[in-house]
Amino acid sequence: MKAIKILERSLAAIPIMFGVAIVVFLFMRLTPGDPVDIMMGQGGAVSAGEMEQLRAEFHLDQPLHIQLWLFLKDAVRGDLGYSYVQKLPVTRLVAERLPATMELATAALLVSLTIALPVGILSATRQNSLLDRFSMAGAFLGISMPGFWLGIVLILIFAVRLKWLPVQGRVDFESQFTPVTGFFVLDSLLTGNRAALISSLKHLALPALTLGAPVSAVVARVIRSSMLETLRSDYVTLARSKGLSEWSVVFKHALRNALIPTVTVVGLQVGVLLGGNMIVETVFSWPGLGRMVVGAIFDRDFPLVQGSVMVYAFTFVIANLVVDILYTYLNPKISL
Amino acid sequence: MEITPSIATPMQRLLYLWRIRWRLTLRALKEFGRQLLGHPVALVAGIIILAYLLGAIFAPQITSHDPARGNLRLRFQPPAWQEGGSWEYPLGTDAQGRDLLTRIIYGARISLLVGGLSVGISILLGSTLGALTGYYRGRLDAIISRLADLLLAFPFLIFAIGVMAFMGPGFTNLIMALTFKGWVEFFRVVRGEMMAEKTQEYVEAARVSGLGHTAIIAKEILPNIIQSVFVLGTLRMGDMIIMEASLSFLGLGIQPHIPAWGSMVASGRDYMLVSWWVSTFPGIALLILVLSINLFGEGLRDILDPRLKLQG
Amino acid sequence: MISIKRFSISILLILGVILSACAPATPQPSAPSVVKETVMVVETVVVTELQEVEKLVTPTTTPGRQTLIVALAGPPDTIDPADHRNRFSETVVRDMFDGLVTRDNISGVHNELAESLTWKDEQTLEIQLRQGVKFHDGSEMTADDVVFTFNRIIQENAIEYPEAHTSPRKGLIAPLVSIEKTGDYSVVMNFSAPWPPALQLLVHQQIVPKAYLEQVGTQGFIENPIGTGPFKFVSTQPGFTEIVMERFDDYYGGAPDLAPVGPACVEGAVFRVIPEASTRVAALLAGEVDIIQAVPAELISTLEQTPGIQVKTVPGTQPKWMEMNVNQPPFDDVLVRQALNYAVDKELIIEAIYGGRAVALPGSLSPYNNYVNKSLQPYEYNVEMALELLAEAGYTDSNGDGTLDKNGQNFSFTIDSVEEHRTLAEAVADQFRAIGIDASVRFWEYSVVRPQLLAGERMAYLDDWGDSAFDPVGHFEAKWHGYVDGAAYGRGNFSTYNNERVNELIVQGETTPDTAQRQALYDEAQQIIYDEAPAVFLILPEEAEAASVRVQNWGPAADSRINLHDVCLAP
Repeated sequence: MKAIKILERSLAAIPIMFGVAIVVFLFMRLTPGDPVDIMMGQGGAVSAGEMEQLRAEFHLDQPLHIQLWLFLKDAVRGDLGYSYVQKLPVTRLVAERLPATMELATAALLVSLTIALPVGILSATRQNSLLDRFSMAGAFLGISMPGFWLGIVLILIFAVRLKWLPVQGRVDFESQFTPVTGFFVLDSLLTGNRAALISSLKHLALPALTLGAPVSAVVARVIRSSMLETLRSDYVTLARSKGLSEWSVVFKHALRNALIPTVTVVGLQVGVLLGGNMIVETVFSWPGLGRMVVGAIFDRDFPLVQGSVMVYAFTFVIANLVVDILYTYLNPKISL
Repeated sequence: MEITPSIATPMQRLLYLWRIRWRLTLRALKEFGRQLLGHPVALVAGIIILAYLLGAIFAPQITSHDPARGNLRLRFQPPAWQEGGSWEYPLGTDAQGRDLLTRIIYGARISLLVGGLSVGISILLGSTLGALTGYYRGRLDAIISRLADLLLAFPFLIFAIGVMAFMGPGFTNLIMALTFKGWVEFFRVVRGEMMAEKTQEYVEAARVSGLGHTAIIAKEILPNIIQSVFVLGTLRMGDMIIMEASLSFLGLGIQPHIPAWGSMVASGRDYMLVSWWVSTFPGIALLILVLSINLFGEGLRDILDPRLKLQG
Repeated sequence: MISIKRFSISILLILGVILSACAPATPQPSAPSVVKETVMVVETVVVTELQEVEKLVTPTTTPGRQTLIVALAGPPDTIDPADHRNRFSETVVRDMFDGLVTRDNISGVHNELAESLTWKDEQTLEIQLRQGVKFHDGSEMTADDVVFTFNRIIQENAIEYPEAHTSPRKGLIAPLVSIEKTGDYSVVMNFSAPWPPALQLLVHQQIVPKAYLEQVGTQGFIENPIGTGPFKFVSTQPGFTEIVMERFDDYYGGAPDLAPVGPACVEGAVFRVIPEASTRVAALLAGEVDIIQAVPAELISTLEQTPGIQVKTVPGTQPKWMEMNVNQPPFDDVLVRQALNYAVDKELIIEAIYGGRAVALPGSLSPYNNYVNKSLQPYEYNVEMALELLAEAGYTDSNGDGTLDKNGQNFSFTIDSVEEHRTLAEAVADQFRAIGIDASVRFWEYSVVRPQLLAGERMAYLDDWGDSAFDPVGHFEAKWHGYVDGAAYGRGNFSTYNNERVNELIVQGETTPDTAQRQALYDEAQQIIYDEAPAVFLILPEEAEAASVRVQNWGPAADSRINLHDVCLAP
């Protein structure tokens, strides 16, 4: 029964993905700037004949709806076109850079949850204490701080002045790291390379912290407020009166229920992670999708931007889907 | 005030209603002010916001330097308290020898204007659409809701970056980029509340008493919803301001010769090693403004929505 | 700007021969003969002003890194020597591939893979190839490879991946009509016209292995390139953000004139791309990289004072100017253009922004160019003169609001540029504002604004155009010749300037072998351009690179090449 509901929701996501593709496509095509000009801008002297050739090649001489149809047709098969600038298939370029971004986003999420969960719970259980006030002040700071600024300041303090952490890159060359999956931390573990493990973790630290800061702030606050709500509920009062230990009350009962809105919020924060990702990658020169997209945007490399934005949107849609599914498991009373 | 003045003519009736409304509003404001005093944090935040606002408006009067003109001989002057600095340039100068403090104050104009306008338009657009679709439902509702869902599939910053990148820099483009997706949240909130309120008794009562649909929406339901919209608006304003700064940082904001905090931080990046102040201070200004807005919004929520107060 | 500029450096042709302007006079071996015996003064002349290189310290097997890590300011677009268009690609390529000839740190051309090059006549070049040169896969380089390499460049659609297209480097050797094998180690090149800068241009083409390339195809070649250079490709990250190479032990030694000869000094080398200048510098300071290029002027003095770091500069090859659209008001009036030239205080800019490490441009050619017109002086900074000229053109502050105007319209325009030149552009705009012109700046991506510039849609554009050849060819015709669709002329002409006499002079100069005649032609062209001022001639900054003190035998090159063959890493 549940499986069918899950399938239903998954299928509902498909039209959204189509919609995303169409919106992105239309947007690119309708903005000023001749793509062929841009492609030519990369090279030296080009003849008018070559320009026509390129135009035909990229179907730019066809009417808009034909172009859209061709684009969708290819996209469904996984062909997202060719980058104007790098002359390589978009799918390949995206696939090459995706692991770096995923690793950063995952690390940021883990970091933020590691901070937010204990802080949120403790603040709720010790409401109005000094810890609570400090944490909430910190949370406000977290959501008020612009990511690009935080990153720069962290680099200044930890990498330049204190020299504790590296300035850029994903891993030190000396550690002789060999990639397997593209997730450097994972790969270090898989290849048993201790130096690489430490190095890649060190490189991941500041970017993950920068990206995760606003997320942890929001999650901490949500956990706190929903915990406060559940801790006041009749259900919990009953549990307490039954003589259950505070520990058990907090963790087994209150938290369980508090997690429900939390999961929803975390799902929304994935959007923040994906968006902020572009900024953080730019600040830290992290070789991921975000940085490539920013470059592609400036280069007016339509196919690359298109493909990347779609990947981002899909990830977001899928993340929300996952959240919805998790939601049902956490609260069996609510159906999809 | 007279209890029952003569209200013979429609004009006099209207005036009477307005006067009552005005006094009620005044009373509400006074009450609000009193509540605010009980929230020191929100109060301080509010004062800070006011200070920024005044500073932005009266920038030419309170600054002695031209934000656009620099002096190449005075590049990278350190802040006044550091060696080599002077109080003529309290926070130092940037790569063109322009006074940082002056530019930061002028930069507030952009942030406040962009933040305020985009939130304002988002609220207007989103609330109107939300109210209409929540009340009338039907085809309109289906289409707009689908559109909203679709827009929600894009992470906000990516959307804004995409819009700005392709439409080019500029003030109007920036507002459009931010409102394009900003209205969705307000739309959803108002629509949801509208659908909930619609089933309430007082709406039935109003219908029965013969009030037209528009009147019901405007006079009965909206006032109840407006508060949550307002609170959400203040919280979102901080986000919008940060987003504008992020876009400026990437070079996708307004034109470079108009000082904007995001682009100031970006231009100072290359000199972080020796002239850290160029990037740091605009970021701090941004941080304080957004923090104040968020704290104020939080305080506002406490005051206007007391049932949430218990949760802290 | 990154791609085109650097590309242009390559495109730029190369110098004629250094001798003429710089070195003490060396008797020219040829007498211009009536018919065919005109011998081009060729290579192998050792120039006395090669940069001082530190004596080699014998590397020992030591603890500490023996892999050199170099930080580039931008990513290469490919590592195929025939298919790249940007300076960074060339930097990487020239460490893995050798060419027939190469250049030293300044501008002298030296034999590399060619043992000798002789002009049989004005349009025919005979080349004897060095024997025993090994490719990285062990096979020997022969005439077949050389013929294959050049055919791949000049033939239409000879590069089949990702789609069949012509090499973008063809324009650099445009006069090359055909190349034939005349023996296992000899080839003959046929040119369509006499071509003075031929050798300088050949520096920028590298030899690729025919058998291997044909076997694996271009795509396979890019994934695993094989060349004859001192370093062998090992691996690369996606987008070429990090390229790893190791020493090729069977290296034939390199150009015999350029010491040291032999395999590379370091065991391996890594090129890492770090586009943000401050990050690059921070990485150097943190010891994460050994050499960085493109050190921003503001940080030079800081780095010089940092123990453990050395900074070196070379005369630059990227002159900067602000071109004005001569077909649109207000810049269609020569008085206005000249006025703007007088309005910029170049000395202040050089002092304040570049720390004195730049020179003002005396017109359209770099002052280091072999054919620069020595009688031209940079426009002096003279505000009164500027205002006078503007008044003559009709611009005065008639309403006292601080801005010049004419016919009720304020004199206002936007300087378009690329992010790379932000500081300079803003400073120049500021100086214009100081005399009452409402100037603002706007930054673009080069590839987006270039078509607009060529179409004459923008008003003023500030950028540089590489001149690494020290010869006008490759740079002059790109910038100041009228735009010709499909040809190399005017490909960088962003002012839409089109003067018939200048066009004539440029074309003549390209094919005139006699140095004195060439000088006269170019002098006249430069004078015309100077007077007509289609651009505000700004400055030529020095190029700075920095390295840790462990790095030895290293020196920046004027053409931005980073030659790792000579470099050693002390323990």
